[in-house]
Amino acid sequence: MVDTPKVAVLFGFGINCDRETAAVFELAGAVSERIHVNHFVNGEKDLSEYHILAVPGGFSFGDHLGSGRLLGNRMRFAMREQLAAFVAAGKPIIGICNGFQVLVKTGLLPGKEVPDFEQRASLTLNNSGRYEDRWVTLEFDPESPCIWTKGITRIECPVRHGEGRYVMPSSSDLDELDSNNQIVTRYVDPSTEVGKGITDETLPFPLCPNGSIRNIAGICDPTGLVFGLMPHPEAAYATFLHPHHTRSDINEEILAEGMQIFRNAVEYAQANL
Amino acid sequence: MNSNIVRVETTPKLGEGMKDVRGDSVKRQLVADHGIEISSVRSIVGFLIASEIDSTQVAERVDDVFADPIIEESSTDELHLDNSNLFTESPDMVITIGFKPGVTDNPGKAALDGFRTIFPDAGDEARVSTYITYVFNGVPEGTEIEWLAKQLHNGLIERALFSSKGEEYPRIEYSPVVPSDYAKPATIDLEISDEELIKLSEEGLLALNLEEMQTIQAHYRDPAIQAARAKVGLPVKAPTDVELECLAQTWSEHCKHKIFAAHIHHVDTETGEDTEIDSLFKTHIMNPTLEMKDEVDWLLSVFHDNSGVIAWDDEWSLCMKAETHNSPSALDPYGGAMTGIVGVNRDILGTGLGARPIANTDVFCFGPPDWEGDLPDNLFHPSRVLRGVHAGVRVGGNESGIPTVNGAIVFDDRYIGKPLVYCGTIGIMPRRLADGRESHEKNPQAGDRVYMVGGRVGYDGIHGATFSSLELTEESPSSAVQIGDPITQKKMVDMILEARDAGLITCITDNGAGGLSSSIGEMAEYTNGCQIDLGKVPLKQEGLSSWEILVSESQERMTVAVKESDVPAFEALANLHEVEATWVADFTNTGLFHVVHDEDTVASLPIEFLHDGVPQLRLESEWKKPTHVDFEAPSDAKHTPLLLRMLARPNIASKETWVRQYDHEVIAQTAIKPFVGVERDGPGDAGLLAPIHGSTHGLVVSNGISPRYSDIDAGAMAAAAVDEAVRNAVCTGVDLTKIAGLDNFCWPDPIESEKTPDGRFKLAQLVRANRELERVCRAYFVPCISGKDSMKNDYGGGENKISIPPTLLFSLFGNHPDVRYTTTSDLKPGESLYLVGESKQELGASEIAFMLKESGEANGIGGQVPQLPHPEKNLESYKALTKAIQSGIVRTAHDCSEGGVAVAVAEMCIGGRCGAAIDVDGPGEADLWGRLWGESLGRIIVGVKQQHRAEFLSIMKGNPLTYMGETTDGDAMSIWDGDDLIIEANVEEMLSAWKGSLDMTGGDQ
Repeated sequence: MVDTPKVAVLFGFGINCDRETAAVFELAGAVSERIHVNHFVNGEKDLSEYHILAVPGGFSFGDHLGSGRLLGNRMRFAMREQLAAFVAAGKPIIGICNGFQVLVKTGLLPGKEVPDFEQRASLTLNNSGRYEDRWVTLEFDPESPCIWTKGITRIECPVRHGEGRYVMPSSSDLDELDSNNQIVTRYVDPSTEVGKGITDETLPFPLCPNGSIRNIAGICDPTGLVFGLMPHPEAAYATFLHPHHTRSDINEEILAEGMQIFRNAVEYAQANL
Repeated sequence: MNSNIVRVETTPKLGEGMKDVRGDSVKRQLVADHGIEISSVRSIVGFLIASEIDSTQVAERVDDVFADPIIEESSTDELHLDNSNLFTESPDMVITIGFKPGVTDNPGKAALDGFRTIFPDAGDEARVSTYITYVFNGVPEGTEIEWLAKQLHNGLIERALFSSKGEEYPRIEYSPVVPSDYAKPATIDLEISDEELIKLSEEGLLALNLEEMQTIQAHYRDPAIQAARAKVGLPVKAPTDVELECLAQTWSEHCKHKIFAAHIHHVDTETGEDTEIDSLFKTHIMNPTLEMKDEVDWLLSVFHDNSGVIAWDDEWSLCMKAETHNSPSALDPYGGAMTGIVGVNRDILGTGLGARPIANTDVFCFGPPDWEGDLPDNLFHPSRVLRGVHAGVRVGGNESGIPTVNGAIVFDDRYIGKPLVYCGTIGIMPRRLADGRESHEKNPQAGDRVYMVGGRVGYDGIHGATFSSLELTEESPSSAVQIGDPITQKKMVDMILEARDAGLITCITDNGAGGLSSSIGEMAEYTNGCQIDLGKVPLKQEGLSSWEILVSESQERMTVAVKESDVPAFEALANLHEVEATWVADFTNTGLFHVVHDEDTVASLPIEFLHDGVPQLRLESEWKKPTHVDFEAPSDAKHTPLLLRMLARPNIASKETWVRQYDHEVIAQTAIKPFVGVERDGPGDAGLLAPIHGSTHGLVVSNGISPRYSDIDAGAMAAAAVDEAVRNAVCTGVDLTKIAGLDNFCWPDPIESEKTPDGRFKLAQLVRANRELERVCRAYFVPCISGKDSMKNDYGGGENKISIPPTLLFSLFGNHPDVRYTTTSDLKPGESLYLVGESKQELGASEIAFMLKESGEANGIGGQVPQLPHPEKNLESYKALTKAIQSGIVRTAHDCSEGGVAVAVAEMCIGGRCGAAIDVDGPGEADLWGRLWGESLGRIIVGVKQQHRAEFLSIMKGNPLTYMGETTDGDAMSIWDGDDLIIEANVEEMLSAWKGSLDMTGGDQ
């Protein structure tokens, strides 16, 4: 059992949330290292030495040719064996925003029990046609196998993307995902009762900020170890980052609800790896 | 050469859950900007791949790189339009847009990178260029295709092909830049008449005046110089074109700030003053700052570096720089603005031994977006400038991972001639590196190698510095326009910060205006010499002449000096990050800026002459008080409808549609965002950041700008800008003992000439602005640590000349003890409202005066412009208020500026989604209009909860403070004047007025 899990946080080629992603894992009790993608590609770093892999947000390769696609390709072709071994070893992976797009385009999400690196879904342009930064409310499927979201019912955090609308070729693909409880988190209307917000009916803009089918904000693979989401929980790590923090009393505790996702993975690694 | 050229096209799939969002966006934009409803717009993205790979091979892998098989259809060597399964109807119109050869094609670059991942044998010469095709159906009668194409592309950098119904579909072909042959440097004979010297300067876009040309002429007559030149094989009595271009760049207004350094004879016809000023910069900016520097220990580096540096705490220092990119943004709003933002980011990266950019600010000045008047030739409609500039800054900032935390958009008719695009960036760096060196100091030695890092050099960006020192005309060159490449730059930033932390950098600066000539030339002052080899510089296209390589402003380049022993580690880092780093020069101590091109010496200029040889300008300034018809308030006005009209004024209206498209919270540090309040749509006054994760130690960034006050007095304009920036920062609870400022002047040409008969007046405006800047900065103890000026913001000449209103943007950054102890502008339930400061009868050049003059309800905007007679008193109020905020008893504060108290309180109700009842009757001599709409400086409206009132009053004791009223249940705002109800409006109607006018989205998805 590992006391202090080691987190590999990818960076380079336009990834740009690497610093805060590394920081929140440290605040959750891990040690994290920002590692350039090419260090894994050229073998100078060994992915198997790490317990958790994070693919942070950003604009890898400018998102030209579709968000996350070119970085997804680099990983799919140049890190295939390392990634397959990482998943086989039962180690958690998270992709946030651009990192989610990357994991979808490598085929790790929604994925298969044993990764086959086939792309099955996509994240495409928001219906509004605009990149936007706005806070959303998320609810989580309590039945999901996702190890990252245990015990979380509802959180608020920002989305910051232009291509966040989750699509699959047919509604039966989505039904299958749903029945496996792989639809981990969805955009909900904050005025609903906590725990009762999830709906399949696409909510109006801006409650569902991108027009995502069934309000999908994040999904996991069948094992629950690989998790990807468009919103940025790391950007809600502190109480003073919430847009309403001046509307409530000053809080001595600075860590906020966004931390739970990262704590879950650290605790999972501590208990299982 | 490449063996194959393969065409690939992709188009969004339609059907269950699938949409063509790109096409839909064009459709909505045509509705928003032109009221044209088209029933369907579809889009096709095309790639032209020139490589060793043939179309059969490409076709097999097309869905691995070019198309996303889940959401897109793809084709190889076939136009999608010819596929009747995809395009069942014959379209009304088809427009295809591609870049002109040589223009930066970022998607093409990315596609090539992806292509090489799949096809490592694509060949060294492989290139990808991209295009986009729009397919229109249901186009309304009377819409001309030429007009439509013009709305969708910029002919300066793009080409458009089009077809109407029944015509053959347009087909863009691969067209690379045709390489030219390298021509050896020419010798320029300067032994010519004065008229010919001027002609040489004008025709060569050198932007040098006669005296400067004569100074250069004299240099080459010096026997000592001639003897030195003979030794190195240079033309003995005349410059090479390389030398002349290098001097023109280095001596440009853009680089040397000649107007701010000028000797000015100033006459004031109002007071009878007649004085001489030896440099406005030294007198009013540098000297005051240096005097302040003696009093504190936190001003680490001022003026001489790419940005000013302050100590934030023992471990970290902060720096900030703001710049304008006006001329390029007028020609190509998107590319010009993008290079503006990524360019100022490089100034931060080039500060000290390299700082990390952590926040952007941007302030734009545009013509009115709903302008219906005439537009001079060659100018874009303001709405298009707004869209383009916004998109450029959005892409540049977002893709670089730098949050845009604060800014403004200001509108005035005169910015139609020249939009102002101010981009600012804040950086952070460790005080000391692991090897013990202080990171704010550069320390190169003779013998260090000089690397050019990042992008390559091309024809793009030749003459940017000299061009921006000229006014905009129809002949303005397209080579002055560039498109930034944020990803190339991001890779470079990642690499350079690692190199810094590894202690590999001895000196660094960015390549902006003037290119290598400026960057290496300026750094060479440290060691007193350099030798550059232009033959080593990697080029985008072959055939650039020596002078073009030396002065090209191609983007995304840093110049970095490295000790010889660190070369292997530095090159390994570049390799890891896939960043091109090329050894192009060495530092020497010869006293010479020496340039070779392979074997040949092409330039050799004494460092001293290059940097200090430019003669001081002598300019005439004369102040005559401008006359205006006084603003007289219409006696029968109803203030409630006036409020709703004011809220819809572009200068006041919500900019949410635009600002929300900036990432304002990447890096997870933004504690006050541009939007605040219940529904997160109230205005934020200043940005507040906590850049160290896990710590609450903060920094504040704010801006002040009020150009229209210049109509009455540019001095008042400058004072107002400084006060506004300080006020905004005060609203966050800034630490007033550690704030620093940046002055960014944008002026119309202030040099009297045939083209500028009113040059003396415009210069007098500059003198007054500088004097007020100094006075207020001294009073508030805000040292100006960095600044910039742009002095030719005019369009055209003669009667049609459009000059911008003299504009000072004052940007401020400062320390904040704890970001939790702060305020936002949204009212919270149960608060009492107070006005800090006093309302005076100051309606001159106010927003209400402009509005009522434009509508014909008033005859003029003249009268008393807001003044700042006793800034030291304001400072006392500000200190008390920040103390109250830092103690946690004030959670609501809002700066009171355009539109006065009425607008400020309305915005606070909108943010809080609550009502308020206030009384504007109070002390002072202002009438109702002055108290309601006046824009007196030094005022902040605060909200305080009942339980904190006593403590608040005790902290504020002795400072001007007026109780105004209370928040109310419900959503009605009422403003009273004693017993008279003046304004009554509810949040919904105010919100709809405030949000409607700049929405410009063209309706729902």
